[in-house]
Amino acid sequence: MSAAGEPGGDGQAAGRIRRFQHGSRVPGWDRASDLSKDPAEVPDLATTAVPDELRAQIEAAMARYPDRHSAVIPALTAAQRHHGWCSPEAIDQVAAVMRLTPAYCVSIATFYDMLYTEPVGKHDVYVCTNISCSMLGADALLERLLELTAGDSDFNVRAFECLGACDIGPMASVDGVYVGPLELDDAQLLTEDVKAGRAVLEEKQLARRPVADEEARAS
Amino acid sequence: MPRPEQHMVTLTIDGREVSAPEGTMLVDGAKRGDVEIPVFCYEPKLGQPVGACRMCLVEVEGIPKLQTGCSTPIKDGMVVHTQTQRVREAQQSVVEFLLINHPLDCPVCDKGGECPLQDITFGWGAGRSRFIEPKRHFRKPLELSPTIAIDRERCILCYRCVRFSQEISEDYQLVLHERADHSYVGTFDGHPYVAPFSGNIIELCPVGALTSSTYRFRARPWDIEQAGSVCLLCPAQCNVSFTVRDELVQRVLARDNEEVDDGWLCDKGRFAYQAIHVDERITEPLVRDGDALRPASWERALELATDALNKARGGKAAALAGGQTTNEEAFALQRLMREGLACPDIDSRAGGRLELELERALAAPSLQTTVADLEFAHAVLVLDCEPVDDAPIIDLRIRKGVRRHGTKLAIASSRPSALDAGAHAVLRFAPGAAEAAVRAITAALSGEGDLNGLAAAAGADPESVRATAKLLTDAGSELAIVWGERLASGARAGQAGRALLNLAARLGLSDVEHAGLLELPASSNGRGLREAGFLPTAGPGYSEPGASGRDAPAIAAALADGELSTLYLLHCDPLRTHPDRGLWERALAKAGAVIAHESSLSATVAEHATVVFPAESYAEKEGTVVHPDGRLQRLRSAIARPGEVSSELQVLAELASRLGDIELPTGAPATAELVGAVPFYAGITLEEIGGRGVRWWQRDAAAADALAEAPLGPFELDNPPAAAQLADGELRLGTYRSLWASSEVELSPALAFLGAKQHVELNPDDADRLGLVDGEAVRAVVNGSSVAARVALRAAVPAGTAFLAEGTAADSANALLNGAPRSVRLERAPR
Amino acid sequence: MKLLFKGIDEPGLNTLEVYQRQGGYQALRKALAMQRGEVLHELDLSGLRGRGGAGFQMSKKASFLPKGAMDKYLVCNADESEPGTFKDRELMQKNPHGLIEGMIIAAYVAGVNRSFIFIRGEYELQADILDAAVEEARAAGYLGDAILGSDHDLTMVVHRGAGAYICGEETALLDSLEGKRGNPRLKPPFPANQGLYQGPTLVNNVETLATVPHIVSMGGAEYAKLGTEASTGTKIVSVSGCVQRPGNYEIELGVPAREIICGLAGGPPEGRAIKAWFPGGSSSPVLTADDLDLAYDFETMAKAGSMLGSGSVIVVDDSISIVDVALKTAKFYRHESCGKCTPCREGTNWTVKMLERIDAGDATPMDLELMASVQEQIIGNCLCVLGDSMAMPIGSMVKKFRGEFEAHIEAARAVHV
Ligand SMILES: Cc1cc2nc3c(=O)[nH]c(=O)nc-3n(C[C@H](O)[C@H](O)[C@H](O)COP(=O)(O)O)c2cc1C
Ligand code: SF4
Ligand code: FES
Repeated sequence: MSAAGEPGGDGQAAGRIRRFQHGSRVPGWDRASDLSKDPAEVPDLATTAVPDELRAQIEAAMARYPDRHSAVIPALTAAQRHHGWCSPEAIDQVAAVMRLTPAYCVSIATFYDMLYTEPVGKHDVYVCTNISCSMLGADALLERLLELTAGDSDFNVRAFECLGACDIGPMASVDGVYVGPLELDDAQLLTEDVKAGRAVLEEKQLARRPVADEEARAS
Repeated sequence: MPRPEQHMVTLTIDGREVSAPEGTMLVDGAKRGDVEIPVFCYEPKLGQPVGACRMCLVEVEGIPKLQTGCSTPIKDGMVVHTQTQRVREAQQSVVEFLLINHPLDCPVCDKGGECPLQDITFGWGAGRSRFIEPKRHFRKPLELSPTIAIDRERCILCYRCVRFSQEISEDYQLVLHERADHSYVGTFDGHPYVAPFSGNIIELCPVGALTSSTYRFRARPWDIEQAGSVCLLCPAQCNVSFTVRDELVQRVLARDNEEVDDGWLCDKGRFAYQAIHVDERITEPLVRDGDALRPASWERALELATDALNKARGGKAAALAGGQTTNEEAFALQRLMREGLACPDIDSRAGGRLELELERALAAPSLQTTVADLEFAHAVLVLDCEPVDDAPIIDLRIRKGVRRHGTKLAIASSRPSALDAGAHAVLRFAPGAAEAAVRAITAALSGEGDLNGLAAAAGADPESVRATAKLLTDAGSELAIVWGERLASGARAGQAGRALLNLAARLGLSDVEHAGLLELPASSNGRGLREAGFLPTAGPGYSEPGASGRDAPAIAAALADGELSTLYLLHCDPLRTHPDRGLWERALAKAGAVIAHESSLSATVAEHATVVFPAESYAEKEGTVVHPDGRLQRLRSAIARPGEVSSELQVLAELASRLGDIELPTGAPATAELVGAVPFYAGITLEEIGGRGVRWWQRDAAAADALAEAPLGPFELDNPPAAAQLADGELRLGTYRSLWASSEVELSPALAFLGAKQHVELNPDDADRLGLVDGEAVRAVVNGSSVAARVALRAAVPAGTAFLAEGTAADSANALLNGAPRSVRLERAPR
Repeated sequence: MKLLFKGIDEPGLNTLEVYQRQGGYQALRKALAMQRGEVLHELDLSGLRGRGGAGFQMSKKASFLPKGAMDKYLVCNADESEPGTFKDRELMQKNPHGLIEGMIIAAYVAGVNRSFIFIRGEYELQADILDAAVEEARAAGYLGDAILGSDHDLTMVVHRGAGAYICGEETALLDSLEGKRGNPRLKPPFPANQGLYQGPTLVNNVETLATVPHIVSMGGAEYAKLGTEASTGTKIVSVSGCVQRPGNYEIELGVPAREIICGLAGGPPEGRAIKAWFPGGSSSPVLTADDLDLAYDFETMAKAGSMLGSGSVIVVDDSISIVDVALKTAKFYRHESCGKCTPCREGTNWTVKMLERIDAGDATPMDLELMASVQEQIIGNCLCVLGDSMAMPIGSMVKKFRGEFEAHIEAARAVHV
């Protein structure tokens, strides 16, 4: 997000305190209501088409809990899988099946990092840039991956907070598969594997890693 | 759940001994010792405290960490400090944190001067600013809805507005987005926040983040005055405070009365004040000149009216009074009609008469419950009404009981209700079959009678009848039945009313304190008009009238047949509010004279009035009205009457004097005369009614006996008619009246977008069968009358039924209420 | 002494068959043959303290749940999002039945019939493994009605989160599991009285619950012999950052920290020295090389002004700028704050902005005063401890490395001007 050219964000005084920088504009900062729209009440299933498979998944999730509201994350996850992101359409469908307002669903979807209310690339590549990984070079790795995938709608490369795999830092989660420790050059291989639809960096998958505690290994 | 018992405890706050009921939060307890603990997020009306803002931190001896005064219940012997160094530092910290991202645009902020953030910063802040980084930036202001502007930079994320949307009105349209310092308040995908109670968030907001589009930049707190009165836009009669500047109402605020409104207002009450000051307001007398109404002098208007009434003496004139009529006005007009002109045909009900005995029984004190009782009832049965449309604030009270006190809720209605989602039992019956439904529930309760047959007559599922009965049996003894006037109307009104009394008797409602019936009348002061004697079957105080008269449907028929010649309309627009619009059009067209007190050109007056007296708005009126639960409330004029508007009482007195039969008082003497004439009001004064109102049987137990001689049942009843068979391609017709179907809404610029439009609500299966799709234009036809509508598919609408709205400005379904059976045919409109 | 990690790399341990072959579900049989109170007594004797961060004694919490027939819940906290922490991941992935068995016993003790495992959404592999294991356990009669013919019924649902650290906080976790935003609740009421769906709820960490079968097998008194008097038993320590052999190690509580960091994990890379270390995840105030000989247990870490927390050691060596560490730490908490309470939402945000200024050479040493003061204004004033979790380590870094901060400010200013 660049401040240059934005009202008040003069590029001249760059470096000093800039009104719209340091992330001072937060997502949704200019979102107004469209007064021509109707209020978003609980969508009526009579007028909201929900794909059968998705509806079945949501209903199954609802059945697993004493209170249907508990199924909202599983339902949104399922809808995201189906639509690629939690689009307004996806949210409407979840809301209709769960008998919630779409606003309810959106307040949940925007709270959690793994749910997207903006379109994203197809394959999630989360690079941990938290303390341990960053000390081991995660920031450079992220940068490399961003360069490699710039403009490629196949990828959703993003920095992520600690993924719970500091032992393989720097690391990434590729569509949920943890790989690490990664060298800079692994970035290229990683994107190739994803593109080819292969298992990603098989040798570096966490799933194959033995416990570090050698005594435990021996026990 | 019954009301909790109160038990007092004593604690020490800043060295002062304070006693307060156990469980009171420290913040409230402290107030009793005159100690103010600053708060932002705390608002007990919103339910459990959330402890979000951290403004209220105080020191409690024996607890190492500072505690939030808003969420710490007081205990006996507690020792609390609010003035220590630690507490001060914490308060200053919170103020500083709140201000780092607050824009400090107070000079141009609408909240300035009445802003808790300003006050608390002044009182508890450190008075310095150490933050030099860029503030969080949002575009501002933005429209959140046509009536509410949002400034997200000013928002301090106190959660009040979203809690209101989620936990009070339960519309769940307003939520927080994102998290952490990115959190902001908004709706789904840019949809406006439009819900019946949305405006309350403006009053709840402790900063200038949510402001009223209609009030923005209209006044500063030092320019205005507040005038307390009562909203007369629906029967809920919420207590309001008008913000007045230069004799104009600029804003309406809630005037918290726990017995009435709990401090909330619906958006009609909050914004439809605009209709008081629109150009369309009639501010001078009008008289008919051919097709047109032309301004005329008072003298001429009064003369014409006097003439018309003089000619109709001895039974040729009739009068109808509508909901904004005060008790005094109704009382005066019925005297004029009955005593002055010997015309007994007067009515304030739209749907037909009830016998006097039944009027009395349904109003009997022992059978009444109150709004406040709804909150603590063991169970509430909502019967043939839709609170959010009929008396919106009642909807909130029912929700509150369910959410906070575990009240069990049963809904028995034809049309799906906004309360269905929180209900524990839902009973759907065919439109117009409430009588059979009530009989079926009673049969299920008693185990006597033909439950299945009655359920079939009601078009209801016997299982849901049983479930409803079971809920009422199991919940406990404090039961409340909220019922709509429509239940006891129409051809079988008497049977239906008695069926209701039988149900009440079966449930023992008259024997249990806090249990009873609460009727939602169709018009704002419906109950007051009846008590003042504005009924064909009853005189003041439900006395035996000298002669009984025609009810509204009979008046229409008599006008149409030429048996009546003059119609007097006091705040009444029959073409909009009365069933069978076709008949009323004929009646009005045929009438020799129509005299109307009106404030805007309704279809009734525009086309049919001979004389129009410019009527007062509810903000201009003085007098009394009666709340549905029997509370007498006082109207106080907030503004001067505009133009040549004169008070209704003044006009009536003037007419009476010209007619020369009786004398009618105005002002306070009018109240005194009413009180003198209604036995159970005896002794009540305006002072006693005051700002909170009084229920007569609570102030004077003896008066409670006044109606006691009316038999309360049980009654022997004949069988309700069997459900009508539908011809192929026909659907049952159900109608309802939307909250927004009123001229005040249509005239208020801010609310005009809500003005009810005609939809035909259909079950998707019926639509499939009829080959109709959502949004399609159709004509709904009943017995030769038809209205235009758009198809709206609703999964919850029972198959075989179509619902249309009454009271809309155009294409009102009143036109279709023209006899039985009520079945409708939908024809695709030509494209 | 290995308990949790005994045979952890045994191929197929995640299947019921291998788990049972290794003696799995014997502890459950033993527990079900005992009275509930007797099992609780063993837990009490064991002194087991919660492994999720707060270190509260497990048996006490279990005993807080009211008796009586009402819906009660057990929720396993598998949100594991504290930076530096990855122990639960290895346990769930390799020995899911160990956790399930522990949960069944804990539920038995607490009189609970419904249980949930709240696992962070990122742990897809582990969640899949748990799903399969729960299914196996159900099929084998370890879950469901009348477990192994006893009077104990238990359902278990694996619930996946969707990415929010705050959901590790137990009340935020409950809200999230109820389908709400993961905002912490006011306490009291505590979950033991009013938790999930308003019912009494026992919330425990994965490692805590996975330890339960071992306590039942060996007896509480025997377990208590391990570790120190106030920190009994073994603990899995996640070691990461600047060490040669990062990973999970099961140790007996009370061993010197040096033995873990320099012994087991191999110490910092050749030629580097330890500058600072977080003993209990990123929320714990940092310690320095001077503290390496302290015993690694709850009480010693607390005495040293820090905490054992989740038992996750992050090692920072002398090649790393403490300003970077502070900035990463603060950014994490800013991002993860739920935003409900003022001091945390605004304080984390302000702290990041100040650190960014410091980093960019737009600050003076006086700003360190301001920063320390802002941390003081956060501590103790928040709704939950997430705010404190940033303020304490940041405060400790400014205090212990003031010289380095000042030097950084001066150097950055020089470049900038
Ligand atoms: C911000 C925050 C994050 C937390 N994250 C976790 C977590 O990821 N896993 C965990 O077990 N406990 C976490 N906790 C601690 C829990 O609140 C709770 O104390 C713990 O789950 C109780 O289990 P235990 O007694 O077995 O340790 C966290 C606490 C806070 C304040
Ligand atoms: S301390 Fe932070 S995370 Fe905890 S309640 Fe407050 S804002 Fe939320
Ligand atoms: S008023 Fe107590 S935390 Fe907001």
